[in-house]
Amino acid sequence: MSPEQKNNRAWLAVLPVVLIVAFSGVVPLMTVVNYSVQDILDVHTRFFVGFDWYRDALRDERLHGAFLRQLGFSATVLLIEVPLGILVARCIPRDKHSTPLLLVLFAIPLLVPLNVVGTIWQIFARGDIGLLGAAINGLGIEFNYTQVPLHAWITLVLMDVWHWTSLVVLLAFAGLSAIPPAYYQAAALDGASRWQMFRHVELPHLRSVLLIAVLLRLMDSLMIYTEPLVLTGGGPGNTTTFLSQYLATMAVGQFDLGPAAAFSVIYFLMILLLCWLFHTMVVSRDQ
Amino acid sequence: MASIELDRVSFQYRGARGEAIQNLSLQVEDKGTHALLGASGAGKTTVLNLLSGLLQPSSGSILFGGRDVAGVPSGERQVAQVFQFPVLYPRMTVQENLMFPLGNAGWKKADAAARAFEIARELGIENTLSSGVGALTVFERQLVAIGRALVRPDVALVLLDEPLTAVQPELKWRLRRVLHKVQSDLGVTMIYVTHDQTEALTFARAVSVMQGGRILQTGSPRDVYDLPDHQYVGFFIGSPGMNFLDAEVRHGRVRIDGIDVATTTATDGLCVVGFRADWATLGADGLPVQVLGFRPDAVQNDLPVGVVVLERDQRKVHVRAQGRVEPGSAWLRLERHLLFREGCRVA
Repeated sequence: MSPEQKNNRAWLAVLPVVLIVAFSGVVPLMTVVNYSVQDILDVHTRFFVGFDWYRDALRDERLHGAFLRQLGFSATVLLIEVPLGILVARCIPRDKHSTPLLLVLFAIPLLVPLNVVGTIWQIFARGDIGLLGAAINGLGIEFNYTQVPLHAWITLVLMDVWHWTSLVVLLAFAGLSAIPPAYYQAAALDGASRWQMFRHVELPHLRSVLLIAVLLRLMDSLMIYTEPLVLTGGGPGNTTTFLSQYLATMAVGQFDLGPAAAFSVIYFLMILLLCWLFHTMVVSRDQ
Repeated sequence: MASIELDRVSFQYRGARGEAIQNLSLQVEDKGTHALLGASGAGKTTVLNLLSGLLQPSSGSILFGGRDVAGVPSGERQVAQVFQFPVLYPRMTVQENLMFPLGNAGWKKADAAARAFEIARELGIENTLSSGVGALTVFERQLVAIGRALVRPDVALVLLDEPLTAVQPELKWRLRRVLHKVQSDLGVTMIYVTHDQTEALTFARAVSVMQGGRILQTGSPRDVYDLPDHQYVGFFIGSPGMNFLDAEVRHGRVRIDGIDVATTTATDGLCVVGFRADWATLGADGLPVQVLGFRPDAVQNDLPVGVVVLERDQRKVHVRAQGRVEPGSAWLRLERHLLFREGCRVA
């Protein structure tokens, strides 16, 4: 067969995937891009405005605030959840009768729907009837997450830690279980301390699962929406308004489709950029 | 440190039904090479873990140079171990791996680096010192693991747990030669665990054959081959293993189905006669056997040399022979033999 007569029928096999990706990803994204360069007054009245909405979005003070809060939140929960997850995973006994039970218990928070998590914590942290809030108030410390920004932040971070540390725990436990006992034996014979065993045996072997854990938590925390919305509604003031909530207010609250679309594109590119940076800086360096 | 001694040591894993090690006594001479040989589950690795302090015996004592080491933690026993696969610290360079035990023992950095270089040169891996261990082949990594086991000069006992397992077959002999070289250069005592008799018999000056948590026999490779104390040892050592046939002793004569095959000093009664493949010959008289086939494995003086597979009372018997033997009837004559009763050698 000459090169000109290649059989191209195999492309048909790719077609379903192309269609699925087109309808689930490319078409919606392009719709948003299309909105972002127009001023839409109603269904029939729209003007092309070029990159105006992008310029506005990048200059928007409220967006800068939401962006900084977002980074602060993601960094905080990652710094707590990853070390805590490793610590908890190391405390889970291996090959005991209690091991499967513990793992199931740890998996429960992961199965709770997001708005239920928000509701649980909204009640749990209430100063008047919530167990946590009332207990703190009972100790004589004034605690009110609906009025004090710091308290709102503490509650939010606690909620996220409660909800997502289990993910790190389960991944780290899987990683720890995969380390052959010989590594621990060798380290013991080399006179290694507990810390050195952790530093030179456990951490290096956990590296790949931890990279996955960090990447998942980074992406998810950057996109957090439901829980803070239910818990604090973004308040007090704007102090717990993160990027996705800011976007939702703009798009479906005020119906500013053009600016919201422009911001969506920026938001999307930002998460993509952060994850790409993380990947190139940490993951690719290994290869 | 001088000799290593296990004195009537027993060990039982928690929750296990029987003892993994039963009343085991073993002496390893200083600067010696000792192999523990046995099938999987014989308790070889348990013995190593008892020596390295990862397990504590449930009874009996372990003496290093006459000193009881009960309760001495692994890190202070001056014992190092090489495992079945290269166990290294993955994020460290070769040099850092070699220096790690020295750093824990309180060495200065410069001294440790000098010692690491010395060991690396002994093993021929001094060119890899600055590379990460991920960049090395399995063979090189196992060399680094051996290096880390030998780097502390106070280490007097190196435990080798089937160290050739992960290495490609064509490199096994090279690794074995390296082990021989460092053993004679550095004069450390080595205990080598394996289920491969060729490895054990070529490496060690003394071999212990283990089965079911006991040592059946300890001796030189020659002794365990020529004079097995136990039927299992005779069967396990040698390729092919020792042949066994049911026999009876009457008035100083060994008889199989009424046919005289040898003379003996053993007392009268039933017994099992054992003989190696090269202790018997085929001829025109003796014990009738059926020839099943011939497996040549070499050529000497233009004649094929190999193992003749025979059958006697539905038992396979292997005999070495020169020249092809055709299937059919034949007669076997024993030149040497051993007698066993209830599994143990009596003559």
